[in-house]
Amino acid sequence: MTDPKPGVALAPRLTSEEAEALARQSSLRQMGVRPPLGHYIRALWGRRSFIWNLSSSRAYVRNQGSYLGQAWTVLRPILDAATMIIIFGFVFHGSAPGIQNRAAFIVIGSFAYGLFQGIVMAGIGSIRNDLQLIRSHQFPRAVVPLASVMTETVLFGPIMIAMVVLVVLTGFLPDMGGPVYPHWSWLLLPVAAALLAMFSAGVALFFARLGARTPDIANVVPFFLSLGRFASGATFSIAGLTAAGSWFRPLLLYQPVQVFLELFRSVFGNEPLTPMSPGLWLLAAVYAVGVFVIGFLFFWGAEESYGRD
Amino acid sequence: MTDDIDYEIDADNLPKRMKKRPLGAPSVIVDDVHITYRVFGARKGSTTQTKTPLLNRAISLGRPDTGPITEVRAVRGVSFVARHGESIGIVGTNGSGKSTLLRAIAGLLPPTKGRVFVSGEPALLGVNAALLPRLTGERNITIGGLALGLSMRQVREHTPEVAEFAELGDFLYLPMSSYSSGMGSRLRFAISTMQTPDILMIDEALATGDASFRKKSTERIEQIRDNAGTVFFVSHSLASIRVMCTRVLWIDKGLLVADGDVDEVCDAYDAFVKGRTGASAGANLT
Repeated sequence: MTDPKPGVALAPRLTSEEAEALARQSSLRQMGVRPPLGHYIRALWGRRSFIWNLSSSRAYVRNQGSYLGQAWTVLRPILDAATMIIIFGFVFHGSAPGIQNRAAFIVIGSFAYGLFQGIVMAGIGSIRNDLQLIRSHQFPRAVVPLASVMTETVLFGPIMIAMVVLVVLTGFLPDMGGPVYPHWSWLLLPVAAALLAMFSAGVALFFARLGARTPDIANVVPFFLSLGRFASGATFSIAGLTAAGSWFRPLLLYQPVQVFLELFRSVFGNEPLTPMSPGLWLLAAVYAVGVFVIGFLFFWGAEESYGRD
Repeated sequence: MTDDIDYEIDADNLPKRMKKRPLGAPSVIVDDVHITYRVFGARKGSTTQTKTPLLNRAISLGRPDTGPITEVRAVRGVSFVARHGESIGIVGTNGSGKSTLLRAIAGLLPPTKGRVFVSGEPALLGVNAALLPRLTGERNITIGGLALGLSMRQVREHTPEVAEFAELGDFLYLPMSSYSSGMGSRLRFAISTMQTPDILMIDEALATGDASFRKKSTERIEQIRDNAGTVFFVSHSLASIRVMCTRVLWIDKGLLVADGDVDEVCDAYDAFVKGRTGASAGANLT
């Protein structure tokens, strides 16, 4: 193999200091450096219609290529909840001591946890899945995970309606106790969902950064998510099943996901054991805002590196 | 990254030869840029590193058939200064790091080492820009426009124009996965020319579609080229480099081997390619 030996001289090469001085003199901007936080948030806000469009397009293609199409968005969580009702509602009678309508308890927990799980999983792979988009255009990279989060959140709209219908239907199940009557507090359901989505978005942004460089994360996180499903009492009552004096009881009761499930149940207001209280809302709001801010800052911290292999 | 196919352009489709424009202030300064790729699970062989760090060996334990994580040094210390009014061609054999360098200048691929300074917002015009295959062409125009930084109103204004330019007809409302490859690249080209940037990078975009579309796209590029401050142009077609560019960078195995007047460098490169036997091995692996 011949080495290229062109008869053309190279232009005199600048040293790094000279290059920097020249750049400053002609007021050039350095590429591929992390923008200051204020600029970043403003740029992200300027791209809000991009986030919205990307996420609605994704929602649209989600279930293409199956006969039932979009119906799967709603059918999948219903089937999930049905499985849990069979096991924790009918087979294990003692899964929620003190709860009258175990089926409704399970439906609410299972659907709400599904929102959290969906958003976190969407966040992990978001950067890798949209690598081509990232390598083709310049935009604040948080657009990509936030669009994935938005997709899951928007799809939760119809799922939430299915959840309400299902909860009402559980009132007619034999052996499950109390019928469920509509209550004014059901109107707060979208607010609870928005808080949970915000919290989950923070977690998703956190894992989006990790997953961007280390694809292995996508294999590990599902284990933590199924551990979380049990540690949050999505299908049974933590308050009712953990021993009163054990050290992990307060840990499980006040961990964020359990707080959000508790919030959802209190909004339905059909169980005396899950009352609604301002303290619960405050705790949920603190978790949502705090985790979102931490996740966002963590994601922004590696802004310049997304797109690298 | 790019499909490195030797596209030769019909002589009558070539634009008019670029006139030398007066050089202005620096618009792009590239300072000792290195770009290294990580490749997971490359096969063991003479090209992978021989001295494997212990950590890499531990990581590879789970994948006995594959080698460690291999690093590909695609660009190794390139420096140059581009000025307003310059039209710069980048030549090199397949896998020499041309497209990688272009992406680094556009800020799309962060350099592993070194810095890039630019005056404006650079835009990469290419047929490789990814779109969402399961969405309709119309939806892709919206997303592409928004990704380029246009507002929703601008995107709506441009949509009919883009659709017409891409000659999709009723396919505009079908998912892109149903498009022929020509239709897909026509649409991608049309989307990426929605905006005239200050620094324009063209990656083999002249070779899109059939003869009539190629003529149209060449005219469009000429138009954009005249309005853009600095143009970078990657191509295997020396004929188009000669007419499009005033200066040429020759990259070989990630190193800048020549940088100068278009005809001088093109002649030297032409002589090198003709005298070479066999294909290039591409970038050096470490």
